[in-house]
Amino acid sequence: MPLLEIKNLSVQFQTRHGIVNAVRDVNFSLEKGELLGIVGESGSGKSVGMLAVMGLLAGNGRITEGEIWFNGRNISPVAEEFKNDPKGYDRYMKQIRGKDLSMIFQDPMTYLNPVLKIGTQITEGIIKHEKCSKQEAKKRAIALMQQVGIPSAEERFSQYPFEFSGGMRQRIVIAIALSCNPKLIIADEPTTALDVTVQAQIIDLLKAIVKEQDTSIIMITHDLGVVAKMCNSVNIMYAGKVVEHGTIDDIFYRPQHPYTKGLLNSVKTHDSTKRQSLSSIPGTPPDLLKLNTGCAFMPRCREAMKICKDYLPEAASFGEEQYASCWHYCKEHADRIVSKQSERMMSEEVS
Amino acid sequence: MIQREEYFDPIEKEEQNSEFIAIERKSFVRDVWERFKSNRRALTGLIVLGIIMIITLLGPILSPYSYDGMGTSINSKVSLTHWFGTDALGRDLFIRVLYGIRISLTIGFVTTLINIVLGILYGGIAGYVGGKTDMAMMRIVDVMYAVPSLLYIILLMLIFGSNIGSIMLGMCVSGWIGVARLMRSQVITLKEREFALAAYTQGAGAGRILFRHLFTNAMGPIVVSATLAVPQAIFMEAFLSFIGMGISAPQASLGTLAQSARMYMSIYPNQMICPIAMICLIIFALNFIGEGLDEALNPKGSR
Amino acid sequence: MEKEKPVVSVRHLKKYFVANRHVFGATDYVKAIDDVSFDIMPGETVGLVGESGCGKSTLARTIIRIYEPGEGEIIYKNTDIAHLSNRKMRAYRNKMQMIFQDPYASLNPRLTVAEIIAEPMEIYNMYTKKEREEKVQELLEQVGLKPDHITRYPHEFSGGQRQRIGIARTLALDPDFIICDEPISALDVSIQAQIINLLEKIQDEKKLSYLFIAHDLTMVRHISHKIGVMYLGHLVEFGEAEEVYKNPLHPYTQALISAAPVADPVLSRTQERIKLEGEVPSPIHTPSGCPFSPRCPECRPECRIDPPVVANVNGHKVACYKYV
Repeated sequence: MPLLEIKNLSVQFQTRHGIVNAVRDVNFSLEKGELLGIVGESGSGKSVGMLAVMGLLAGNGRITEGEIWFNGRNISPVAEEFKNDPKGYDRYMKQIRGKDLSMIFQDPMTYLNPVLKIGTQITEGIIKHEKCSKQEAKKRAIALMQQVGIPSAEERFSQYPFEFSGGMRQRIVIAIALSCNPKLIIADEPTTALDVTVQAQIIDLLKAIVKEQDTSIIMITHDLGVVAKMCNSVNIMYAGKVVEHGTIDDIFYRPQHPYTKGLLNSVKTHDSTKRQSLSSIPGTPPDLLKLNTGCAFMPRCREAMKICKDYLPEAASFGEEQYASCWHYCKEHADRIVSKQSERMMSEEVS
Repeated sequence: MIQREEYFDPIEKEEQNSEFIAIERKSFVRDVWERFKSNRRALTGLIVLGIIMIITLLGPILSPYSYDGMGTSINSKVSLTHWFGTDALGRDLFIRVLYGIRISLTIGFVTTLINIVLGILYGGIAGYVGGKTDMAMMRIVDVMYAVPSLLYIILLMLIFGSNIGSIMLGMCVSGWIGVARLMRSQVITLKEREFALAAYTQGAGAGRILFRHLFTNAMGPIVVSATLAVPQAIFMEAFLSFIGMGISAPQASLGTLAQSARMYMSIYPNQMICPIAMICLIIFALNFIGEGLDEALNPKGSR
Repeated sequence: MEKEKPVVSVRHLKKYFVANRHVFGATDYVKAIDDVSFDIMPGETVGLVGESGCGKSTLARTIIRIYEPGEGEIIYKNTDIAHLSNRKMRAYRNKMQMIFQDPYASLNPRLTVAEIIAEPMEIYNMYTKKEREEKVQELLEQVGLKPDHITRYPHEFSGGQRQRIGIARTLALDPDFIICDEPISALDVSIQAQIINLLEKIQDEKKLSYLFIAHDLTMVRHISHKIGVMYLGHLVEFGEAEEVYKNPLHPYTQALISAAPVADPVLSRTQERIKLEGEVPSPIHTPSGCPFSPRCPECRPECRIDPPVVANVNGHKVACYKYV
């Protein structure tokens, strides 16, 4: 049984300009000990999807449908168990958040409380979830700080966040995330705000954690380099959908979806002595307020066909793990897909 | 709908339109207005204020009475001939209240306008030039602010007599300081923003940067604080008149009307209630407008 | 052929900020830029890389005179503009322009695109009103936006489009030197390449010189002819782009290149990373001697005493005792 399995997850935001479908019908699963990268541009829904899993969506956002199976239990607020019991959902999420399920954010300074000592912030979760004594918690906190590579941990235990550098703060956030031996850590761009040399240190640390402990990590990032360095498998997201999934070797050496190909090409480095233009993806990221009914990547796709505008492609498999959603790979099922989608559109129009 | 046989033909370039902008075109002013309109309380405030202003402008022209014309019916009750009744000298209260509103609104708007202009100039220059100039300018302001504004008004009234002019002048002596401080802090943060730096590297002079770039972006909080300053000024004037330091007879502001009605409060409550109700109505309306503007100008999470 | 003269040369430039003034005597300085020298040739791009706090953005803002330079010279063509008065500086402002990092902050939200792009021409009283309108259209087209975008407001555009508006604005004055201060680091990956391509296209058409600042070495390597590496206010290495990338001399450059993540799983698995201890120290209490000495894996005793002089290894400049 996978550790996390997401089925048909959709997330909607109510904004002043209209309804935004930030995550649209996402499916994927994660095994124990796996390091999954979720790659996408701003507005691709990569963070929103994971916040939805954590039950941390902003007030104007909600999960409209979908199942989130974590550790054998459906923790979606629209699950049978919680559908009519939002309080029960909150209670349950509070129980597992910070314990089985923890999160690392991009900017450690917004996550850490500036007026509390580091030690207090690390032990807080331990005391709450593990119900142990203060002494015991402190011992564990110091061990954690040593594990994440904070020198002279015992002295720094009683320091405040501003006394730490950016990289050290991120290490503390990681220590807090690790404090209750979580089964899954969701890391939202944990290295984006850091310098290259510090970023490399943090990546090494996260990799070591997965190796030593029985933990899985979902790494949300826009940086393909970071993914190549630390993940086993990758989801490529575009406009709220997973357009391609595969192991890193699949994605980096055998990309199928035109968006993945474009993304990889645009980070390929060239020798500057031979001046040639970088291959880029034309146009701008999609506006989620005005998407066409078909493939959201169509406006920027070099291989777009007429059918792409009106109808959504279905996922086609390549090998064991890889799949991509592009019309180029599901041409033979075109009639079935088109009639299914037209039917749905008709019934939606009627209702 | 496309035909089955052309499903897999390459799509036309025009169909793709990858530089498409989905958001509707909107200028800042229109955007603010639309947000303001959707706020029911603010819109009510604006309508109420508008109606009051129209009545105060047209009322005296259409009314058979004048604000100082005495009649035979003294201390009459609210009736069809005298909508708000008459006072001890037989003057029509409705028309006097209308004149009172005129005076109150004039004081409110004119002082606020003067304060805004002065404050923006002073604060803008202090914030933009910075350094020692800023330091000196702000210390001068601190000294002026240390004296209560009531004192300025009383002093000016001693010199120029008790009329609208000296009240307004008195309120302006230190009234602009709040705006100046606000503008200064806005300018200090905005001038480090990249669009201001960009204008600077393009050779724009101080005036252009200050007014075209900084002021237009600082306007939001200043407009809000100004709309909230209008009711304050009105209230101040009413308060001064009520303690007997306002406009002298036969002119009357809402405050003096309430003051002269004080003696007959239990016998002729209409003389007291009418002007006070108008003060309340105007202040409520202006506060609602200010609140609405605040929300429209500083939306929380615009998208 | 006659030797070309640099468009801009920076000579021993310093910029110190006051960090702390003690009541009695001493003042603490942040040495944001400490004795930096380099040249930029016509039609050439110089890339400047370094981690946060290394002074690269301060250098950019000092060269374009947003900050008052300290000691040193900034020579534009034949004039030292480092200490010109604001009035005299005005004659040079139109020749040097800057593209900013944050495309959301660099455009005034209250102006339309047309007003934004036309503004520099207004300031310099260039063209008639009608000609200016035409020029705005032309510039928009050049950066790949549509003519009907001119009445739009900045917030209606995406990040990449805004950055292109910013580029159009800098081109309005026909400058011959543009400073690009991390123009792509706030943009999505697929958009970064677009902007780089656009900048290169414009450079080829107009023979512009760029000073291109970034923290990401791979993009800098692509666009630059020469690369400078900064650490704690010092320019520690400067040379031909490919030379610096393939054959880095300074230990810091070597560490920086080896730490940059490569979008290639096999390569990054085999990549040998030079592990650096700790992080960049605070620029107030800079180490004596070589600024990099406390973190340097190859630090020698002399490194901690005096800062190294710049050595010239086949036209490739490096400030390190290894090469003296």
